[in-house]
Formats: sequence, structure tokens, C-alpha cells
Amino acid sequence: MGKEACLRYTSSTSLPPPLSLPLMPGFSSGGLGGEVGGPAASPPCPFRPSRFVPVSAATTFLVGSTTLFFCFTCPWLSEHVSSVIPIYNAVVFLFTLANFCMATFMDPGVFPRAEEDEDKEDDFRAPLYKTVEVKGIQVRMKWCSSCRFYRPPRCSHCSVCDNCVEDFDHHCPWVNNCIGRRNYRHFFLFLLSLTIHIMGVFGFGLLYILQHQHQLDSVHSSVTMATMCTAGLFFIPVAGLTGFHMVLVARGRTTNEQVTGKFRGGVNPFTNGCLRNVSHVLCSSQAPRYVGRWRGKQTVEVHPPFLRPPLSEAQLEAKVLDNGIQNDHHSSRSKSSLEQMESQSADAEPPPPPKPEVRYPGLPRADTEESSLLSEGPSTPSMYKYRPAYSSPQRNHTALTHPNKMIRGDSLDSPSILQSSRQASYRSEPSSLDGGSVIGLAARGGERGEGPGGSSGTGGEVAGGISGYSLGGRSYTSYPSSLVLSTGGSHSSSMRSAHTHHNTLGTLQSEGTTDTSYKSLANQTPQNGSLSYDSLLTPSESPEFESAAHELSPQKPHAPAAFPPAMTSSPPPGVRDVPLQGYTSPFLSAQMAQQREGQLLQGSASFSSPNRAYLRAFSPPSPNPPHAAHPETQHHLLHQDSRHPHLRATSSIRPLPPVSEQPSPSSPHACSPDPPVSPPLRGPSLRKSPSYTGEAGLQHKARPMGGGSLSGEGGVRVTQAPQSTSRPGLANHSTSKPVGGVKKVTGVGGTTYEISV
Amino acid sequence: RFHNLQELRHSASLANKVFLQRDYSDGTTCRFQTKFPSELESRIERPLFEDTVKRLNIYYAEAEKMGGQSYLEGCLACATAYLIFLCMETRYEKVLKKIGRYIQEQNEKIYAPRGLLITDPIERGMRVIEISIYEDRGSSGSCSGSSSTSGSSAR
Repeated sequence: MGKEACLRYTSSTSLPPPLSLPLMPGFSSGGLGGEVGGPAASPPCPFRPSRFVPVSAATTFLVGSTTLFFCFTCPWLSEHVSSVIPIYNAVVFLFTLANFCMATFMDPGVFPRAEEDEDKEDDFRAPLYKTVEVKGIQVRMKWCSSCRFYRPPRCSHCSVCDNCVEDFDHHCPWVNNCIGRRNYRHFFLFLLSLTIHIMGVFGFGLLYILQHQHQLDSVHSSVTMATMCTAGLFFIPVAGLTGFHMVLVARGRTTNEQVTGKFRGGVNPFTNGCLRNVSHVLCSSQAPRYVGRWRGKQTVEVHPPFLRPPLSEAQLEAKVLDNGIQNDHHSSRSKSSLEQMESQSADAEPPPPPKPEVRYPGLPRADTEESSLLSEGPSTPSMYKYRPAYSSPQRNHTALTHPNKMIRGDSLDSPSILQSSRQASYRSEPSSLDGGSVIGLAARGGERGEGPGGSSGTGGEVAGGISGYSLGGRSYTSYPSSLVLSTGGSHSSSMRSAHTHHNTLGTLQSEGTTDTSYKSLANQTPQNGSLSYDSLLTPSESPEFESAAHELSPQKPHAPAAFPPAMTSSPPPGVRDVPLQGYTSPFLSAQMAQQREGQLLQGSASFSSPNRAYLRAFSPPSPNPPHAAHPETQHHLLHQDSRHPHLRATSSIRPLPPVSEQPSPSSPHACSPDPPVSPPLRGPSLRKSPSYTGEAGLQHKARPMGGGSLSGEGGVRVTQAPQSTSRPGLANHSTSKPVGGVKKVTGVGGTTYEISV
Repeated sequence: RFHNLQELRHSASLANKVFLQRDYSDGTTCRFQTKFPSELESRIERPLFEDTVKRLNIYYAEAEKMGGQSYLEGCLACATAYLIFLCMETRYEKVLKKIGRYIQEQNEKIYAPRGLLITDPIERGMRVIEISIYEDRGSSGSCSGSSSTSGSSAR
């Protein structure tokens, strides 16, 4: 039996919870006893002859009875009463039949299944219901799992037809069709006309019978009486249904809504008043069908190039922040905004994307810095250029990067990473990267450093920075990025890597730090990227440079993970003293740097201090050699295969604490702080020597720190050279790169430059 | 449709689709939300987009308007036992054709040059307006159906 079959399906395709079954149209039929349940939604409904029984019966009764009426009753009526009667009855019957056919064969308003791409977003995490407001009343739209969309208001899924139907009324078995938006009018008119027709047939039959009481046994009378009985029999349910629907129409409800009691005691948002509701049913234009339409071929072709709308300022800013690539421009413009950002938490910093690998906010800055440094193209020249002009380029750079990097740079500054204005400038790059992180660092050392330019100024800054760094948390947050930055700053490449890493941690910050650390090493605080350059440009010291470069080149996107005092041989950015051979031996370069800065860096700390500084960042800062900052860079370095610590740092976003010399607390950022530390270490390289005096070596280390990974080697910063302690670390670092006269510097984007020393 | 377009298109690939939902605030009459989707921010100017959607809403309101014409049409249909529908198209269908032409024109003039295509909502059951976003195949290489994130290449 059809019903059992239907029950078997009980489909939940469209109604996930079985509780919703009662809502199924099958149940709701107003008195028509629609089928229960329905076929499974997904598979096509198998041919079930039982579905056609009611409609066949209805058709049979309708047509048959009327035919009999016309054949047996009407002739006499037309002769003896009026000839209009048959015509009238014919018209009514035709009207009934037409509406019956329309109700039966017309598409009720079936929604086509949603295509896959439409429900992509809805499928997995979508709630079962979505609420919309209709005339101020909340209406739930349910997700139809078989049709794969949220059913519009008043839409329901018919299990018999396995379709979502617009303005679903009910599924009528007598017409074997759903009654929906398109065919409701026909259904309603069918009911009306059927009622009238039944009344007519019954009435005229009664008239005939009354006139033929003495001939009741004749065929005509018998047939007429049979017809009357049929009519009378169907009149009660039909009239009842008609009346029911007349009320529905007047109230603007569907059978579904009425039977499920949706608006019981509530307000129906779909009603427009009795008159309008009636006119809507009867006078509105035929709604279009959605399925089975002839689809014209899409004749419009889409060919690139595509026009793009001009970006508004806000969009540009957002874009810049997001992409980083345009950061340069933006950053320079948005210095003020950056400053504002400073005040916010690190989280507020715009660039750092959730996914480190996606964006390299710091990178752009690094690029900027780098580009500024390397206006000529190859990093080397500019780096060299940078170094000698230790102060001047830095200043310029500072100014240049300041806007953007301000934030970062500031942070770097505070950790004294900004040993020189140049450093500061570099820092600014990273700072911009980490924006928010910088905020923590109230000490916009970088900025300050930038202002005064000159190493002295920066040195002061550095000192302040260091102290600021020691402030700890605040600076710490910013530092990591700044450290990283500084570390990476030394090379553009490192910046990039730092950026990469940086992202994870707010690389921006670390980058800045790395830069600074490098800077400190190189007496400036190059941003991550610039760090590399910085190291390359280690003032006057090609070895340092090489080492820095060395560090830079390998730049492995070292996740800031290095942050922990994983002193990966992060050669202090300022490994100017020690030329980095390629990138591989940040430590080596650090060593060299140390050697160079032996005099400068008093503390072996350069190596150790960075570590320490870095460690300090994590733990109470111990007045380690200024290179404390470097530990981070060292980490980076180590991590990155003894690449230039800051390089890595940048990627790892390890805000190297301005470990530089200062036992500054932010040692974890060692990387970045390093730079500030280094100034004194390297003398030339570390502008900010004052604070980091003696930590030149450390500074170097600090610089590269950017990514703690660098620091691994006990803070063997490249600049550690001068630092005895760092030596060992340096040694570690320097493993990778040959001390050949070639330094590898990783540039932005991972390109590696080989700089022959 | 997508496949048809793919055949036609040789240098652009479907990157993403944006769906403008219906605005049910005024009942079940056909209206679409004019909210500017974020995915289109970089592809088309907001006024152009809003103009298109508003005009579509106007057309749909005109189609569903219950006026003299629709009433007469109904009466005529009843009188002819709906046989009139065999030779005459309903008012709604007429407006739908006008809408189709309008969308085609908008596509040609405004959206296709920007790498966008509007799909007639009637094909989606008038539930959504689907806007397909295309990317330059050379640049993003996004595959159809996937949201384009040129960021991936940006990296």
C-alpha cells in the first residue's frame, strides 16, 4: 500500500529530525488525508500506482458523474426548464475541469536544487535554522538537506514529491500534486467551482427527480439519482474544504501553517489584510516556474584584463596592512596611525596575520628598508653604503622607516636596539611590522633614536631602550618582533625570513628587533631584512658583513619559535664585526664580529649576553652582557642553521629582547635588543654602543636574534667576536657558511644574494 | 552554466561566487538585499553594484504588482479555461524577460569587464543572485569553485 511504502521512507532527508515529520506536507492535508511520509528524498521515488488511486478516483467521479448528468438529466431540463441549464452546467464543469487539470499538472513552485557551490558555506557549519525578520517578526528558515538551501519563508519540502515548494500549502492526493504558490489559485478555484458544480448537479438532479417521481424506476431517474447521491456524498467534504480554504485565503495562511499552528496565538507576518489577501490569490499574475526553464546560453564572455575599482584610502590602508607588500607606502604614510597603534596592544597591530605564512607584514618593511638601503639593487652595495655612513644612512633610514616602523622601531629602540639612529630607523621597519607589539614599548627608542640620529642619540636611546626593555612584558611583546626584526634587519633577507616567522609571533615585532639587533651589531638596527644587510655592512668590517650576510642568506623562515632562548646561533645582527660568510655562519660572523669588536664589546656577553639577554627575556633579566638581546637572535641563528640570527629571528618573530648588552630584561627578544647592545660592542657597528658598551659582540648576536632560534648558540652572535663568551657560540653558528669571501644574503622573498667579500 | 562559461573563457577562471540573499523584510515579495558583499569590494564600485540590485528589485516589484493588467489577465485566462496561456505569456514572464535582458546588458557593460558575472536569479529559484568572480588564470590560478586567494601567490 502506498501509505506503508511512504511510511517506510519517512524521509528525513529534508527534515533531519524525525520530529519534524508532522510538519511534512503529507500530514497536513486539510481533510484530504494526504499520504503519510513519502519517498526517500534522495533516490527518485519509485513508481507507486497507489499514488494515482485518489486522483483517478477523483477524475472518474468528476467526469463520469458529470457526463451522466449531461446525458440523462440535462436533455429533459433543457427542454422543460431552460436551455441555459446545460450551458451553465457545462461552463461550470469546464471551469472545474480546467482548474482541476491546472492543479494537477502545474508546477506548484518547485525550487530547483541548489548547486554545490551555493551551499559551500552553509553545509558544514551551518545551523539548522536561519532567522530572518519578516515585517518585524522573526521567522525561521530551515535548512533543507536534500535541496541544500535554507528554505525561504513559507517554503516546505514535500516528501511525496521530494521537492521544496514555494508557499507550500499541502500535498493533495486527489490531484496527486503539491499545492504551492503557482497552483494554489487553481486549486482554490477548483474547489470553488467543484462545490458549485456539485451543488448544481445535485440541485438540477433533484429538480428532475421531483418532476419524475412517478418514473423513478426509469433509467434516467436511476442515473439521476445515482448522480445525486454521488454529488451529495462529495458535497460535504468538498464544501468543508472549500470553506476551510476560504478562511485561509482571507487570513493569508497556508494549510501547512494552519495545521501546524504556526500562528496560533501569534501574528501572521504574511498577511496583508483580507481584501489584499484575496486579491493576491485571485488576481496576481501567474508566478513563473523555476524548474524546466529554457536556459539561454550565457553569451557574455569574461576575459581579462579586468577593471578594478580605485581603492579608497581606507581600502588602501587595509590592503597595505594586510598584504604587507604595500606596507612601505602605507607605513610611511601612516606613521601617525602607527603611533596610534603603538598605544594599542600587540594584538591590535594590523599586519600580523593569523597565519604566518600568509603574510609577511614585516617583510614589506624590510623590503622598504632594504630597498632604501639597497637602492642600487643588490643589497651589498647599499649595505656597504649603509655601514660606512653608519650614522647617516641610518638616520635617513630611520626617517624613512620611521613612519612605518615606528612602532616596531620604537620598540626596538627601547630595548636599546636602536643604538644608532640608523638602527632606529631599521627598527622602525620592524616596528611597523609589529605595530602593536611596539605599542608595548613605550620607549619608542627607535623614534627617538631616529630623531637624534647619531649614534649617541641612539645610544641614549638604546640605553633607554634597554631599560625600557627591561620593562619586560611590554617591551617584550614588542621586542620579540622587534628583536626579530632587528635580527633580520641586518639583511633584508633576514627580514623576510623574520617576517615569515614573525608572522607567527607577530613577526613584525621580532623582525624589528632582529633588525635592531643586527643594527646594533652593525651599529644600526636593521630590520630583519636590513639586519642582514646590516650584518653585511657591519661597519667597516667585511667579515662582519659576511657573517651577517651569511646569516642572512640562509634565512630560513625560521618560525619565531626560536624565541625561547634557543639561541640558535643567531649572530647578532650587528655582526658587522664578523663578516658572515654567507648566511651559514652567523656565529662565525659573530665570531668574527666579536673578534672585531673584541675591543668594542666588552662582554663576551655578546654571545652570551644575547643568550642571556634572550633568556632574560624569559626570565628575570640578568644583567648579562648587553648582548642579551641576542640570545634570541642566536636562537634564530641556531635554529636556522646558524644563519644570521636576526635573519631567522625575523622570521621567527622573535622579538629579540634588546638583549643588547643590557641585561635588559627583554632579553628574550634578545635578538632585537641586541642591536642596541652591540653598539658599544662594535663601535662602528653599534651605534648605540653606550648602552651596550662592551657588548658589541653581544649586540651582534642580539641582532640576529630576531628569531630566538638564532640565539641557540649561547648567544653566539656574529658580533660576538669581540666577546669571548660568544665565541663558542659563534663557532657554532658559523658552521654553516664557509668563510669564503662570499656572503650570502637572503633578500626579501627568499632570493639569495651572494656578496663577495 | 559554469561549464559553459569555462568553455568560452580561455584566460579567466572562476574563482569564487557571491550569493546575494533575498530580503524578506517585506514578506515573500521578491526583493534582494542590497548589502555590498565584501568579496566584491575590490572588484566593482559600490554604487554600480547597488544600482544594479536596486533596479532588479524594481523590476521584480513591477512583475508582482497586482494591478489592472494582472486582473484582466486572470479573468481572460479563466474565461478561456487557461487555454490563453498557450499563446500568450503572462505578465510576470514578460517582466522576467526584461530582467534577463537587463542582466545581460549589465554583464556586458559593467560586470564582465571587471571579471564578474551575474546569474539570473530565476535560475536559482529566485532565492539568490549569484555573482561569479573570475580571476585571471595566469595570476591566481585558482580553480573554479574555489575562493580565490591570490594571497597564496602573494606569498
